[in-house]
Amino acid sequence: MSWDANSRDRRRFLQALGGAALAITGCSSSCGSARKAARGSEATSVVGQEQPAPVPSGPVVVGKPRVVVVRTKKALTHGYDADRGALRAMVEAGLVALSGQKNAAAALSRYFRPGEQVGLKINGLAGRHAATHVELVDELSVLLAKSDIDGHHQIVFDRFASDLKASGFSAPSRGNGYRCVGNDEVGHEEDLVQMPSSASRLSRVLTTQVDGVLNLPVLKQHMLSGMTGALKNNFGCIHNPNKMHLDGCDPYIAEVNAVPAIRQKQRLVIMDALRPVVDNGPSYQPGMGEVANALLFATDLVAVDTVGLDILAQLRRKRGLPALADVGLAPTYLATASKLGLGVSELAQIDVITLEV
Amino acid sequence: MLSRRDFMLSCGGAGCALAAGVSGAGVVLVPRPALAKTPPRAFPARFWKKLPQNRIECGLCPKHCKVEDRERGFCGVRENRGGDYVTLVWGQPCAVHVDPIEKKPLFHFLPGSHAFSIATAGCNLECKCCQNWDISQSKPEDVDFRFMPPDEVVRQAKANQACVTFTYSEPIVFLEYCIDTAVAARKAGVHTTMVTGGSGEAEPMQEVLKYLDAVKVDLKGFTEDYYQRMCKGKLAPVLKTIELIRHSGVWLELVHLCVPGQNDSPAEIQGMCRWVKTNLGADVPVHFTRFHPEFQMKNVAPTPNATLVRCREIGMAEGLQYVYTGNVPGLDGENTSCPKCHKVVVARRGFALEEVHISGGRCAFCGSVIPGLWS
Repeated sequence: MSWDANSRDRRRFLQALGGAALAITGCSSSCGSARKAARGSEATSVVGQEQPAPVPSGPVVVGKPRVVVVRTKKALTHGYDADRGALRAMVEAGLVALSGQKNAAAALSRYFRPGEQVGLKINGLAGRHAATHVELVDELSVLLAKSDIDGHHQIVFDRFASDLKASGFSAPSRGNGYRCVGNDEVGHEEDLVQMPSSASRLSRVLTTQVDGVLNLPVLKQHMLSGMTGALKNNFGCIHNPNKMHLDGCDPYIAEVNAVPAIRQKQRLVIMDALRPVVDNGPSYQPGMGEVANALLFATDLVAVDTVGLDILAQLRRKRGLPALADVGLAPTYLATASKLGLGVSELAQIDVITLEV
Repeated sequence: MLSRRDFMLSCGGAGCALAAGVSGAGVVLVPRPALAKTPPRAFPARFWKKLPQNRIECGLCPKHCKVEDRERGFCGVRENRGGDYVTLVWGQPCAVHVDPIEKKPLFHFLPGSHAFSIATAGCNLECKCCQNWDISQSKPEDVDFRFMPPDEVVRQAKANQACVTFTYSEPIVFLEYCIDTAVAARKAGVHTTMVTGGSGEAEPMQEVLKYLDAVKVDLKGFTEDYYQRMCKGKLAPVLKTIELIRHSGVWLELVHLCVPGQNDSPAEIQGMCRWVKTNLGADVPVHFTRFHPEFQMKNVAPTPNATLVRCREIGMAEGLQYVYTGNVPGLDGENTSCPKCHKVVVARRGFALEEVHISGGRCAFCGSVIPGLWS
């Protein structure tokens, strides 16, 4: 539908807020039907509820958002390949700590419901050497299947099929039968999504094939935005990220993540920090990977990026590299994202739990 | 259109919806061309240099995009492939049309003639009011295109008795194609013109100017703020390009699209006209054209006629000799008058030519030189 700025009146304003209020009151443990009902209305605003509600503002999460950092002694086997056994233990510990559930499968059930299509948004730009580890995705696929989300309901996606292939997602269908799809194979919506500073068309994988997104970024330094993590990973959901790299990608990253059709599908983030790229990113550069053997778990995209940035800063210090701010690459978009109500960018305001497995 | 206010409102609503996993989105529906059936072909690009680790710095425009392997620059049509830079639009126009030359607008260049107009996908700016956003803001694979090498462009232009014009999107991003086509056109005795935003680097612009006969530059505003805020560009390089064109001897006309409340203040218009007179000369035609709501500015009303008339008056008061209004057929300001005897030497209505009283490049009434290419 078209939202005409000139036609927004008090009634529509209240309707939108009413929709938001209803969404708040619907508790997360019983929202499966609500999600299903809403699935067919991606291109519509939340309407139909008349009651007014307080103006929503600021981060949605009440209290401190939680970010779980799980480390292990050795998660990588031969250079870039990951040990699935180690990953399994890390994912188990991370999801349990994040969700409070008894095991990882139960935890995943909290974020994704049986019957839903789960989109696993990887970062495959840099190819196998600096992409989301395919072993991690394989392991998550198994866990999702245990949560009654079989391979037919799992879609690994990124911008280009060639990137997926170069990142080890070599077959259209692999592992438990999950599909690997490039946006270039499915295309983008014809509708233009307007943002304050730009406009984009959304990936049809996101808008038509996926109910919820499991965001799987790689922690990397980025020579234009400072760092790349969960927020920037969603540049893979639009058709024109090339137009969004000015001014340290600020405010573009934040605004893209504030697009309702993107934001509303973010359910869970698992950041691959097994071997972050500490400099000259985001592409793969020999010698720029620093083994950290860590995975980060969160639902707050800004918070997980903030914690990831802290880890990146530590790794850079260890290498004797200058702080990002000292080379004009402070990722200011994190604060912008926080101002848009997307999450928390103050490290002190984040509940960071560190586990060793 | 989703305004900033609506966007913020929807963010808040979306945030609440996220808490409970409820979907809903506010989007603006705008049609776009169908997907291309075949992937675009890659051709070697020019005007770039290698950086360490297979990176590339593009030298085509002031953005100087530093492009990673398998990535593209801001324009979206030039790609780094393993340390080699390729263009994905050479010979692959997505828009081909025969227009009156007045549509460009070029008022002092072969009036009444036709322009065989071509464009590819891509642009190095992102103007919020872009009239051709569906191609300028698309990548080559997102638009329908055909393969049309330079010789074919020239052949078709000749068949249509038209000059070749690079227009609609931004010719600078398909400059290799422009150069090769302009070279072929010159060999065949066909004129070549360009309609550009002027946001290019000197070296590539000098190269293409060798083969062009006329250029129309969109001087979109006269403040850095406007260029940064509305176009994701910069003013200073555009002014440099305009001076470069003027001093190259290629015929130059300027267009200023008057966007209400954004770039149409009397002070800004006056500053721009003074700059034109001082740096380019009083005889460079300046067109003040009407904005139509498009792309990200659908919530802004079209430019009032009074604004265009006022802009023209300011230009003339500053001493410019050829100041026009555009996109409003019938509005006073479409005709060319002799600056000496003040008689109308070219009468127009919209894109239609009604009368021409120029002979040998001179006013038919008083004999004064009227600059331009008239026959």
